[in-house]
Amino acid sequence: MNPLIFTLKIQPEFILDVAQLTPDNLAGLNKTEIKSLKLPYGKNMVPLDTLFSVTGTDSNNIQINRSCEKLVAVGRYMTHGTINVNGNVGKILGSYLHGGTITINGNAGSWVGNNMSGGRIDINGNAGDHVGAGKPGDTFGMTDGIIKITGSAGDRVGDRMRRGMIIIYGKAGDYCGSRMHAGTIIVLDKAGKNSGAGMRRGTIILAKKPSHIAATFKSNGNLKIQFLRLLFTQLSNMGNEFSIFKEFGPEAHRLSGDLARNGKGEILILHTLNLRN
Amino acid sequence: MKATRIIITAMNLKWAHKAANALRGFASSVIACGCEADIERELLPSETPDGRPGISLMIFAMSTKDLEKQVPTRVGQSVMTTATTSCYAGILDGKQIAMGKSLRFFGDGYQISKVINGRRFWRIPVMHGEFICEDTTGVTNAIGGGNFLVLAKTARHALTACEKAVDEINKIPGVITAFPGGMVGSGSKVGSKYDFLPASTNEVYCPTLKGQVNSELSEEIGSVLEIVIDGLDEESINEAMRVGIKAVCSFGPKKGICRISAGNYGGELGPYHFHLRKILK
Repeated sequence: MNPLIFTLKIQPEFILDVAQLTPDNLAGLNKTEIKSLKLPYGKNMVPLDTLFSVTGTDSNNIQINRSCEKLVAVGRYMTHGTINVNGNVGKILGSYLHGGTITINGNAGSWVGNNMSGGRIDINGNAGDHVGAGKPGDTFGMTDGIIKITGSAGDRVGDRMRRGMIIIYGKAGDYCGSRMHAGTIIVLDKAGKNSGAGMRRGTIILAKKPSHIAATFKSNGNLKIQFLRLLFTQLSNMGNEFSIFKEFGPEAHRLSGDLARNGKGEILILHTLNLRN
Repeated sequence: MKATRIIITAMNLKWAHKAANALRGFASSVIACGCEADIERELLPSETPDGRPGISLMIFAMSTKDLEKQVPTRVGQSVMTTATTSCYAGILDGKQIAMGKSLRFFGDGYQISKVINGRRFWRIPVMHGEFICEDTTGVTNAIGGGNFLVLAKTARHALTACEKAVDEINKIPGVITAFPGGMVGSGSKVGSKYDFLPASTNEVYCPTLKGQVNSELSEEIGSVLEIVIDGLDEESINEAMRVGIKAVCSFGPKKGICRISAGNYGGELGPYHFHLRKILK
């Protein structure tokens, strides 16, 4: 079936909340009903038709074209289906995502996948701060699912995350994996200062040695970590986009921390490539 | 019966075999061992969850409860104690029984849970490094005790033919031959004159009792071996019995093979019947 395509007619002047444009919300609606939906636009509620042209029929497969940073809350509370966005998106992309896949062919704002509990977010670009984090006041950040960012991410990636995986092909900002409860963060380029600050459990895997590690992390030496072998094998089996992990071996420098907290988290700094044996 | 499949990996096949052999030790019959277990086949690195060489192994028991008892005990004492090993589920769906879920406590608080692709794994710190064990493994309905008897002139004739049959059976996926070497030298009947015994010697197939009981053995038969096959489904057992019997028959009377029979126990031992003539058609 043809994907349901929303194409922006204008470049929005104000914040445009598109949380309603999910397979869950649009299921069973005909095109007229969809066009008459009212979206929060700045302080007002505006009919969808005035902002988007709508084509296609398959509400399980949504596409948003000519997107920009003013579009926020893409895929909020989504449980199934796919959303593909061509262009940049604003804040809280995929917040409270339960299932399905969101793909962004552009950059995303801060709070990507905040409080998500399943599904997958692929960002073919950069992301802002607080990727996979919990919103202020929440005990936990993301509790399940996968976030993949081909570019770089901002500060406090995975802050308070409880479970799930964040994979960043580029750089990560400061305080990567801060206050983590569990879960896995992989950064294939440099990470900023204070990675893992305040983490209780969880794993931060850094492909490059960071310039700074907090004093509250203690070295366990260079080891072959069996878990890395399992993780990289499983990831490389997940599709071509993860084939880079075939090159990674199990050897890593393991640091335990944050000793100021529980001290059961770990930072694994990968030694080099091609060490699978 | 109920069955599960587990995958053992290690640094190399030699050590995966050592773990698998330890696990399947004393697991020849549910009568007294609690389960029946054997190696199903060797696995290539590309077939295992962690990309190392491995062994696929199946464990059969009379109930899920028995498996729940046997699997963590055997994995804990036989696989976790073997150097460089990891242990994964070979059946992912269906009812799940604990594996790493029980063994994680060996980590004494230092164990780490990881969920990858919806599967939970436990990282248990051990002296050789890390023992990775999947949280649970799936249980499926299975069939135990498909069998045929090889009646031969001498023990040497019976053994030679049965060795070939077991080699052929081991090529069939989804089946195991849990007895030592894949064959039984002391096949049993159900029950006994003694109340406390659930099974006892099958006297009608004992060559030394030919003149003493209503024997099934003719004059020239001097030795009988039984091949017992457990499998995940009827088709697999049918196929295993077919290739096994054909392998035995290839020896023929000139090489001491007199007859093929089967223990049917009056047709009352379980709901599945494997009719030899039908299988060979």
